[in-house]
Amino acid sequence: MSRIIADLQASLRDSEAVAMLSGDGAILAVHDLAVLLNRAAFGRHIENAGEEKRQWFQLGPEEMFFLYHTLKCITVQSANKKQMGEAELWDLFTSTSEPFPEMYKAYQHLRLKNWVVKSGLQYGADFVAYRHHPALVHSEFAVIVVPEGEAFGGRCGRLQVWSDLLCALRASGSVAKTLLVLTISTKACDLTSSDCLCQLIVHERTITRWIPQQCRELRDNPSREEASTEKQEDTREGIVFSYWGVILSFTIISVLAYKLKF
Amino acid sequence: MAATAAVTAGNRRRRSRAPAGGAGNDDAEEHHANPFIDTASSTSSRVQFRNVASRARWVEEAGAAEVVESKGKLWLTTGVTRGGKLCYNVEEIGFLVEKSALILLNDKDQTIGIEDIYEKIAGGKYGCSWDTFQAYKHLKSLGYIVGRYGVPWTLKNSSTSDTNQSFNKVDGTCSDITKSLKEMHIDRLTPSFEVYLPNSMFKKSSPGAPNFLLCLLRNKPFARVELEMLENNFGGIPLKYCHVDNNGRVSFLCFDEVALPRLP
Repeated sequence: MSRIIADLQASLRDSEAVAMLSGDGAILAVHDLAVLLNRAAFGRHIENAGEEKRQWFQLGPEEMFFLYHTLKCITVQSANKKQMGEAELWDLFTSTSEPFPEMYKAYQHLRLKNWVVKSGLQYGADFVAYRHHPALVHSEFAVIVVPEGEAFGGRCGRLQVWSDLLCALRASGSVAKTLLVLTISTKACDLTSSDCLCQLIVHERTITRWIPQQCRELRDNPSREEASTEKQEDTREGIVFSYWGVILSFTIISVLAYKLKF
Repeated sequence: MAATAAVTAGNRRRRSRAPAGGAGNDDAEEHHANPFIDTASSTSSRVQFRNVASRARWVEEAGAAEVVESKGKLWLTTGVTRGGKLCYNVEEIGFLVEKSALILLNDKDQTIGIEDIYEKIAGGKYGCSWDTFQAYKHLKSLGYIVGRYGVPWTLKNSSTSDTNQSFNKVDGTCSDITKSLKEMHIDRLTPSFEVYLPNSMFKKSSPGAPNFLLCLLRNKPFARVELEMLENNFGGIPLKYCHVDNNGRVSFLCFDEVALPRLP
């Protein structure tokens, strides 16, 4: 994936790609780069029968900012063709969505490790993370981003009550993903500028359910704990006895029949 | 009847294998017994009814019971030995009495009823709370070997002061071990139990290291910083966390620190 992304970065730079702000994210038009964009799993392709030469993609805010700020391979314009600088973009995104700093930090953290990160909203999470392209693998993790520190104000309340945590766990489990909690922490830090990104620290932790019934390691000697149901045991043994009885009688009958025939 | 013996052993093995759970399906799935139907079969078929029960006498100063007559094999993985005497703490007493494997006596040799035993547990004075008792019961019923964290399985001398020290509280109230932890400002964070996988070779004289330590989580989940401090203090042995909800339902969680690999 790192190679695909490096290729994409180089190609976007060379073609001087420009993204246009739209809604919460941006749209990007590319010539001949659709395949690369798809392979790197950025954005969603917009079907457009009219356009032959250009392909349009819709990018989420984190995706767009990653291409702009970290990979530095696109420029961004507002809807009225005004070039957007980094500070302006940061202000815009943080005002539209307060958790943008920690969301972006989490996104960037995973992308820099070459994980594929897509929106996790349909799974009840912030992101989903794949080891490679979603068409090739299932996503392993449902990612929830939890900020920590005064700078984040009232946003630190996620997963602080049991119903919250168990809800997230249940949601991720029902789609066969492990819940990954990325805690973004910082000492006092000014979130109004993208410079804060290097001061944010990401901690990774998984939350998994442990089922004691499934994890007992049984030796050959039966456990001395006699809490298992003896009554059920008796019924089962009864069935077993009758099973063997049937086999035994069948064998005897066939032997007798065999002897009688001769 | 070697064949039958082999078959029953196989059955036992098969029965103990996990009920297949889907990914993410857990023991929290609801299975409601319909109370509107008259059931002829007893719903208490899961409980073990024993004809012979051990007898133990409650000792108030120790907050525990001394066994006077021991029957059956449960004692091999339950209770601690102090100066040659077998002693059960409140959660062990509760568990055994519910299984009719123990009769608890007072100093007048009268039977102490289950309500009084529940009172002792719920009161929290003897080092175990009601929630902790639920967690203890859940694991014990599945065959795990569960002991209070920091309490040795056997001790040679049986003086009262030693007993008080060794029956340190599961909830983190005063005792030697928890005192030193209090000084480190993490008194919420002692493990409650040390747990061993079901093991017929378990010996109290040399139990070995527990398979994991169990911490009880109450009002709210642990924050990251608390988790890290806990892991640093009990490093090496895996930690599992148990949440008992308001209805007594027990669930177990792992909060594992990971480091996602950098992919190629």
